[in-house]
Amino acid sequence: MGPKQKGGASKRANATEEVEETLQAVVLADTFETRFEPFTLEKPRCLLPLANTPLIEYTLEFLANAGVQDVFLYGGAHSDQLEKYINASKWRAPSSPFKQLSFLKSTSTSVGDVMRDLDGKHLITGDFIVVSGDVISNLPIEGALTKHRARREADKNAIMTMVLREAGRNHRTKSSSVSPVFVIDPTKDRCLHYEEIDHHSPESSRLNIDAELIETHQEIDLRQDLIDCNIDICTPDVLSLWSDSFDYQAPRKQFLFGVLKDYELNGKTIHTHIIKDHYAARVRNLKAYDAVSKDIISRWTYPLCPDTNLLPGHNYELRKGSLYQEQGVTLARSCVIGRRTVIGQGTSIGDKTTVKNTVLGRNCKIGKNVTLDGAYIWDGAVIGDGTTVHQAIVADQAVVGKNCTLEPGSLISYGVEIADGVNVTEGRRITKAPREDEDGVPTSEPEIVGEGGKGYEYIPYEDEDDDETASNASSGLIYNMANLSLSTESISTLSSEISDFGGSRSGSFSTTMSDDDEDHFVHDAAASVYDSLRDSVTSDVVQLELVSLRMTANASDHQVRRAVVSAFMKRIQQLMEGGKGAGEAIREIFGKYREIVERSLFDRDSKAKPDQVDLLVLMQQDLVHRNRGDTVLLFTAKELYELEILEEEAFEQWWADERSSNSEEMRQVRSQSQQFIDWLANAEEEDSSEEEESEEGEDEDDE
Amino acid sequence: MPSPPVALTPGLASFLKSLKTNPIDTSIDDLISLLKRRQIRHSRSCATATAYLLRSVISACRTSDANKLIERVQYVGRRLMAAQPREMVVGNIVRRVLGLIRDEAEDDREADFTLSDAGSESQPQTPRVLDDLSESLSGRHEGSDRSSSRQPFASLSAPPISMFSLLSHPEPESSLPGTPASASPSGRLLSQIHNKDIRAEVLDGINEIIDELGQVDDQIAAYALDHIHSNEIILTHTSSTTVQKFLLKAAAKRKFTVIHAESYPNNHEATHATVSGQTPDDDELLSTEAFQKPLIALGITVILIPDSAVFALMSRVNKVILGTHSVLANGGLVAAAGTRVIARAAKVHQTPVVVVSGVYKLSPVYPFDFDSLIEYGDASKVIGYEDGDLVDQIDVQNPLYDYVPAESIDLYITNLGGHAPSYLYRIVSDHYRKEDINV
Repeated sequence: MGPKQKGGASKRANATEEVEETLQAVVLADTFETRFEPFTLEKPRCLLPLANTPLIEYTLEFLANAGVQDVFLYGGAHSDQLEKYINASKWRAPSSPFKQLSFLKSTSTSVGDVMRDLDGKHLITGDFIVVSGDVISNLPIEGALTKHRARREADKNAIMTMVLREAGRNHRTKSSSVSPVFVIDPTKDRCLHYEEIDHHSPESSRLNIDAELIETHQEIDLRQDLIDCNIDICTPDVLSLWSDSFDYQAPRKQFLFGVLKDYELNGKTIHTHIIKDHYAARVRNLKAYDAVSKDIISRWTYPLCPDTNLLPGHNYELRKGSLYQEQGVTLARSCVIGRRTVIGQGTSIGDKTTVKNTVLGRNCKIGKNVTLDGAYIWDGAVIGDGTTVHQAIVADQAVVGKNCTLEPGSLISYGVEIADGVNVTEGRRITKAPREDEDGVPTSEPEIVGEGGKGYEYIPYEDEDDDETASNASSGLIYNMANLSLSTESISTLSSEISDFGGSRSGSFSTTMSDDDEDHFVHDAAASVYDSLRDSVTSDVVQLELVSLRMTANASDHQVRRAVVSAFMKRIQQLMEGGKGAGEAIREIFGKYREIVERSLFDRDSKAKPDQVDLLVLMQQDLVHRNRGDTVLLFTAKELYELEILEEEAFEQWWADERSSNSEEMRQVRSQSQQFIDWLANAEEEDSSEEEESEEGEDEDDE
Repeated sequence: MPSPPVALTPGLASFLKSLKTNPIDTSIDDLISLLKRRQIRHSRSCATATAYLLRSVISACRTSDANKLIERVQYVGRRLMAAQPREMVVGNIVRRVLGLIRDEAEDDREADFTLSDAGSESQPQTPRVLDDLSESLSGRHEGSDRSSSRQPFASLSAPPISMFSLLSHPEPESSLPGTPASASPSGRLLSQIHNKDIRAEVLDGINEIIDELGQVDDQIAAYALDHIHSNEIILTHTSSTTVQKFLLKAAAKRKFTVIHAESYPNNHEATHATVSGQTPDDDELLSTEAFQKPLIALGITVILIPDSAVFALMSRVNKVILGTHSVLANGGLVAAAGTRVIARAAKVHQTPVVVVSGVYKLSPVYPFDFDSLIEYGDASKVIGYEDGDLVDQIDVQNPLYDYVPAESIDLYITNLGGHAPSYLYRIVSDHYRKEDINV
């Protein structure tokens, strides 16, 4: 009702002033990462309290400050809870700064899915802001937005502006394990290349920049000092790009990387807006949770501080020494409240207790002689007498008994009860949430929570394809609260974000190589060659095209062969399906285009024949997935031999090559070719040892 | 749905614009969140927003009972003050509006009382009220020939409405010369119509407050020539428009030198802009000030100095002129950080310190806890957030305000004239009613 009235009444104003677009924003309440487990087992991550205010409040506050009017909120896990919360919040009230706050549910499992879903819904009318539901920022986005609009006016292809915060080399708010590297042309604020460097894997600590970038740009900045707070200003084109690339999942590692790489193809540019003042950060993991909490308490995020009382009903006041205290706190006379502490309403603290660097929620009960340092105690938790808590999180309604010790990094989830005198060791995560694989109330583990306690140790569920999950046994993330330096182990990059990518871009390549670059070239080249084959273009033309493609992508010979093999086999397959015999089809294709194959082989004069072997292996790999692959392989081998494209030695070496027999399918495919190899050996009767070897191969096959 | 054009970042302008169209509760919440988010932050902007909001609150309030009005305004006022307790002008405006309502209600009661024993002699303790009463009553018969601002309006309306003037505005400075009671009113008529009047009168009163907010700087500037003399060296601080107007007024007639401390880190950009005359287009100050000429355009020498140089230069300064955030009942003030240092330096050098401030900044609150009055701002203005090592290891505090005790101030210049700090209590009691000091 509010908006309608407003809309109607301001029509007059419309006539006089120039119409400005409604600013829309998409909030990704779930970022499809699992970095807040075990807390996220029971609650959506954007409702986790950060300095006693749910994360999502900060994000919505940021959008309200930015003057956003339409907000689309995408819920992920536990979206019912989030929806309930939002419906009851001030953002739904008529006084909400947003004219529209839509809650969208989807079954998405990645950011990419969300974006594609959004594209399908046709809700976005103009420029919009994409933020994740855990952004904390006091940045007025006007500047970035104006620049973005100016750029878009000038050039339609400037589709996206990323807001990045400058930070030094070491910064507590930066993610310490994976650091994003932005290659930027500072003259145009254009992002040229993006890569994530993982400090823990030796292979990826290298940055690959296309030489062309260096040639074509006068100035290039390589920046690793930026906090990527995932605030993107996008044009609707971004959505269609997401839709076009159906396999992109992560907004940075795949989408950004992919779009920048395909600049030649689509001509889209992505720009950066680097801010040097104002605060912007993302609570991307527990370490960031700790850092951002500190930032809020130290007022770096001003005015988003506890004493701003973002939530109605909060009444925090700032006292000396960054102590934020709500009314109605009971403090024992002899307790010591140190610096940088937040204490919520109804909390009581017992005698001789020491509290510092700690956030205490509402209605917590802290006993006597307790030491809290760097602890995050959420609403309604109870800490028994004589307990020590260092750098740990105790969630809502959890009970920690008397004389316990919570060592750094321990995470006590909702409602867990720890019996008296228990020592919770470093980095242990204890939860009471129903396990994924069983129904009903989970059994408690007395060895963890003590006799009479409730809860069990949560061990992160590792996906089969997740090869780089939080494999390290320690709960990692929060452990790093203690040592903020780049510790070598224990930081995990849980990775639904970093799923294997590029692995199956095109079904026709079953390949062990899944490097992205390669995929692209192979895909493009194969498609091009295949089209030519189908249209019976002469071999010169095909060759020319292939060479030019190869030059652009700077592809290796191996890739060229892969592309050629793939295209040839596909065409042959098609001819066979059209009713031709295998031999006939193969003769037709290889006869006509023999040159193309020949030109991809460069080992005619040498003794070892790696290129020819490679070709055969590739063929074999390709045929694994095709109908009558074994037959085709046999005929192809014969044809290639007769056309003198491949030499005898190559066949022998191929047969001996372990790549050609390293899996069941591969052996299956080449089984028919056995007769051809035998025939070769017999016909020439040259090297007997070769033959033996091939017989060995036969034996293997039979097994 | 057509999307109305809205200023991108919310602020005073967007608030005032939306005030007309939004339902009143929405506007209240809107202002609360603007105050919380510090999107309205200058004293005057806060005061203006509050006054406009209360005007809407009262005009939307469909009651004529003074007590209900007071309750309503108190409720709204409490919420606004809780939203940003350190913006004391919000409370000041609320108190003044409450005072207006109470005055009107009492006028009513007085009138009723007088009417009940009609024709009785005027009571000495409330001469003005009776004056108004008699005035209006006579005005009904004789027509208006008086100079009261509301009189013509009252007489132009239908006869019963002429009772408007009965409830005329109670501001002390606008009180009319006494006239003897001459007519006997009809009590029945009065009790019917005063119900309508109280709101209209309060609204008029609020409009006057709003007008006052608009004119206050010019009124203060009118005293400039009394205080600034030729060839003086004046030291000032921050980019306060009140101070700028004050100096500009004097600069029109006299030549003097201004030393301007830059008030790093919270206000230095604005100060630089003020000195150089390149005022950034700030939404909140989108008024004539944005177009005024800088002092240098009038041939005044302006020297911009870092805050640290204040003490060294103080020996050469003839007078310190300061703006303020709010003034407290004890004569002390809360002003931009750095003010206290300047006041202390001036004390040491026996330099007079003059504070220019509108009466609306004068708060009846007595400061028992000075610390609670001081707001702490963004730490990154002191050291860059990008310096990760420092951020991690040190506590940075950036107070936005200083409390300056009354002893350091020699003179206040308000729109009512110049006052010694010890005299402020008198202005407080003129402007606020005792029962409203705690809203």
